Order: sequence, then structure tokens, then C-alpha cells
Amino acid sequence: MRGIVLRFALGILTCLVILVVPSRLHAQSDAAKVYKANCVLCHSDDGSGSSPTGKALKARDLRSDEVQSRTDAELAEVITKGRGKMPAFGAKLKPDDITKLVAYVRELPKKT
Amino acid sequence: MLRTECGYSLGRIFLKLFAILPLVVLAGPCAYAVPSYSRQTGLSCASCHYAPPELNAFGRKFKLEGYTFATKPEVSEDEKDHNSGLRLLEAFPLSVLFDTSFTSTKSPQPTTQNGNFEFPQAASLFLAGSWGNHVGSFLQVTYDSQADHFTWDNTDIRYANNSGHLFGKPLTFGTTFNNNPTVEDLWNSTPAWGYPFVSNNVAPSPSAAAIINGSLAQDVAGLGGYTMWNDHLYVAGTLYRSEHIGGTQPNPGTGFGFNIRGVAPYWRLAWQTSTQNNNLEIGTYGMHLKSSPGAITGPEDGYTDWAADFQYDRMLPQLKNDVLSFRGTYIRENSSLVASFGNGAAAVVGHHLNTAQANVEYHFGTRLSGAVGYFNVTGTADPLLFAQAPVSGSANGSPASNGYLLNLSWWPQQNIDLAVQYTGYLRFNGAGTNYDGAGRNAGANNSTYLLVRFVF
Repeated sequence: MRGIVLRFALGILTCLVILVVPSRLHAQSDAAKVYKANCVLCHSDDGSGSSPTGKALKARDLRSDEVQSRTDAELAEVITKGRGKMPAFGAKLKPDDITKLVAYVRELPKKT
Repeated sequence: MLRTECGYSLGRIFLKLFAILPLVVLAGPCAYAVPSYSRQTGLSCASCHYAPPELNAFGRKFKLEGYTFATKPEVSEDEKDHNSGLRLLEAFPLSVLFDTSFTSTKSPQPTTQNGNFEFPQAASLFLAGSWGNHVGSFLQVTYDSQADHFTWDNTDIRYANNSGHLFGKPLTFGTTFNNNPTVEDLWNSTPAWGYPFVSNNVAPSPSAAAIINGSLAQDVAGLGGYTMWNDHLYVAGTLYRSEHIGGTQPNPGTGFGFNIRGVAPYWRLAWQTSTQNNNLEIGTYGMHLKSSPGAITGPEDGYTDWAADFQYDRMLPQLKNDVLSFRGTYIRENSSLVASFGNGAAAVVGHHLNTAQANVEYHFGTRLSGAVGYFNVTGTADPLLFAQAPVSGSANGSPASNGYLLNLSWWPQQNIDLAVQYTGYLRFNGAGTNYDGAGRNAGANNSTYLLVRFVF
């Protein structure tokens, strides 16, 4: 029994090390960090909105022409004030972060 | 009668244990939509719940990511050079819950009054929200009117990080520090957050319950890890030790039915998939523990629970996005009660217990939900473990019980729940008629329960 428990504990520890180390090595820009912290929940890592959350909320595909055809000011306004089911981030994010976020959204189609 | 080193009768301990177990098990989940999450995210309760505490895809993700997602102002400073960052909610994440209820059983329990008001049945305080970058909590303390005191309730404090990648796919991982096996889980098909979502604490309830089905709730402390890969594969594991609320430290074990020897591993594996209107989860979970009843040394009882579960939520666009949910779980418990047998609390060493639960629920928007559930418990008969006693006992020593649960909840506002629930028993502690040997039938324990709940 003790052996099983030790192997179980070791397994958890190994998994955490495996998972944490690559993420640490994966350097992120400021914009990517802001995107990860605020947008991934619905819009997915790649902006597609293909996660279960994104599908359920019918989150926009940030790579789509519909989104990319908006001006930077329009995108910044949506982030700041929210729209539909999307909450407003103006109270949390600084204008500078929102500007970086818009630039990051512009880069998403190129990453696919 | 055999006694422990400290002079406690193990038979009495077991009787106490089995008197308390049903209350723990059928008390149901003690947690809800928590308004401080709403204040933190700027989103309504319905953003995370079909009906509290049932999580939708967004709610699962919010929990997976450590309860940290926020859109409201924070006191923050970025990490720079060798300086740490800071991220604190400006609004302290505190919430309140107030339950008041009425319960009536088909036949009164001997020498007691039937038709019971509880005002309150329970009142809870929650510290629920982001504690900082990557760290958040669901933490609850509850006042129970029958015990007349506050006590620690479900708690899940977690670190989460969504920046991982594995095989080119996104990976979220974290750690959880909690006090109830399955409380960390994301679905409503496992015990801690399973149906029924509200329940009375007055009517008699069946004696037998698997250890993972609530028997250890708030009586253990566990540290574990979890990960979700590519929004599909969820893997979690936790190691638990006994942590008896109200007990002395160091733990002498006396007076407590379960004293975990070493550590008790809990495991969870689930796979989910989704389309725009469908969410499906199938999974397995379980636990293994060795315990010395009423002691921390000597012979051990061993339990291993193997369980499977599923949840399917179907959104119906043609019906204004109403949601139909199907959930179920099966738990197989194998136990080797060496200590209990040696102490005269069990007639045989080898036992098994099968628990099957299934329910279907229709959500009329976020205003109304109606659910039907069925449960069935069977297992090894044991006249000592399931001893004869009026109302709570079994005349034939069988743990077998089955019945149904009907629930209708109305939410005039998303933070006010008016519920009516009916529990019907076809078999109770081994029989449909005269199950306790004192002339009481299973149907006598059928109960009607009315609840008014406020959370704010």
C-alpha cells in the first residue's frame, strides 16, 4: 500500500514538474499575458473561440474577417465597454494594455 | 463488548457514525452560486450556472482557472526585474447565504413532532474569489441550526495556470487544497456537487453510503493537482489525511469513525467534448483508504471505491436556449472491515456496496428548473454493521435502499431560490415494509421539503 501511495505522489509531482517547466520556458509578451489572463476563457488560445466555453457563449472568432475588419478604435471600445455577453474590461485594464491587446488580436490570424 | 485503547465502545462509535452518515450524505451539496464571483467578474450568476450550483462550460472554466478571472478594478503592480507583482481585488470577495425551510415526513418519527420549520436551516459566509495572481478560493463556513454553531464547510483553495502547452495544445494545470473528495470536480455528476442540489436535514435517510459519497466531507484535508488538456482531458489526483473539525490535535482518533492511516489517494479522469449546443462528459473517479475506527493504531478497515459518471447538457435553441441535463454515477465500494470485524462492529470482513444515481433536469431559462432523480443502493447484508433500531436501523441487516427525488426550483431573481422537493422511498434499509422491525415502512420516510434561499 505504501508503495502505491508513494508512486501516486511521485506521479503527481512528476506531472506538475513536466507541466510547469515548459510553461516557464515559454516566454510571453505583455500582450500575450493580458490575453491569457482575460480573453482565453472564452476566445481560446488561438482566438478561435472553439473551446467549450466559447461555443456555449458563441464567442466571436477573433481571427475572422468580421472581427479583423473593425478598426483599432472599435476593437478597443468593445474591450473597454463590453458588448452582448462579453463583459467590459475598462475598469480593470489600463488603456495601454487595451492598446496592446488590440495589437495582439491583429496578430492572431497570422499565427494559424 | 470490545473497547478501544481509550475505552470507547467501537459499537457505539459505529452507531454514531451511521447515525451521522445519512445526514452528511443526504445533506447534499452545500454550495451555490456565489455572488462575490459575480461582483468580481461583472457577470450574472447565469453566466456560470444553468441553475446554481450546476456549472455550465463557462463556470467550469472559471473554476478550472482558479476562480481568478476578473473584470473589476484591482490593486495591481506588474512584476519587474527582481520585484514581485501584486494583484488584489478592490472588493473583498465575501458573500452570504441564508436558508429557511419546512420539512414534513409522511409519518412522524416516534415521539417527535411532524412538520418542522427551520429558521434558519443554515446560514453561510463565503470567502470566494481571487486571492491574487493564479490563486483563488471557494471557502465556506456554515451555521447549522441543529448544531447551533458555525463550522467549516466545503473549501477549495487553488493555484491555477493556463499558460501551459502539451503536444501543441493548450493545457491548464493547478493545485487544490480542499476538504472533501470531489469538491474540486468540474461536473455535477460526482458526489460533492451532485443532485439533489438542496436537501432537508430532518427526515430519516438510508444508513449506507460509500466513503466517496460524502462520508469524508469536511473530515479530511487534501493536497492535489489537476490538469485539463486541450479542453478535453481532465486528470486530477489528491492525497487526503483525516482532519477532524472540532477534534483535538494531534489527532488521537477517538470518537471518529474514519481515521486515515497513511494517506488516502483520490483520483479523477474525465473526458469532455462539446459543440455549440451540446456538452458531454464521461469519466471515472475513486478513492482508496485504510482507516482505524476510533483509533490511530491497531487493525485497519480498508475501502476502495471505483466510480464512473457522465453528464450531458443539451441546449435547445428552438426553446429559447432552455437546457436539458442528464447525469448519472455508479459507485462500487469494496471494503475489508478487519478492524470492525475484530471489534464486533461487523459480522463479516468482506463487504461491497453498489450505489447508482441518475437524474434528468429541464431548465426553463434561468427562472425555473424541474428535476427527477432515481437512486439505488445495494450491498452486503450485515446485522452488526446495519443493526436493528427504530427508524434508522435495519431489521434484516441489509443496506439496500432505493427511491426517487423530485425537485422544482423557481428563481424569481438569480440569487433567490424557492424550491419544493419530494423524496420517495420504495425500499429503506433493506425492506419496503417493516424495515426497522418496529413496524415502520419505507414510505413513512417520504418527505416534502420547502426551501427559501437567499444569496447576496
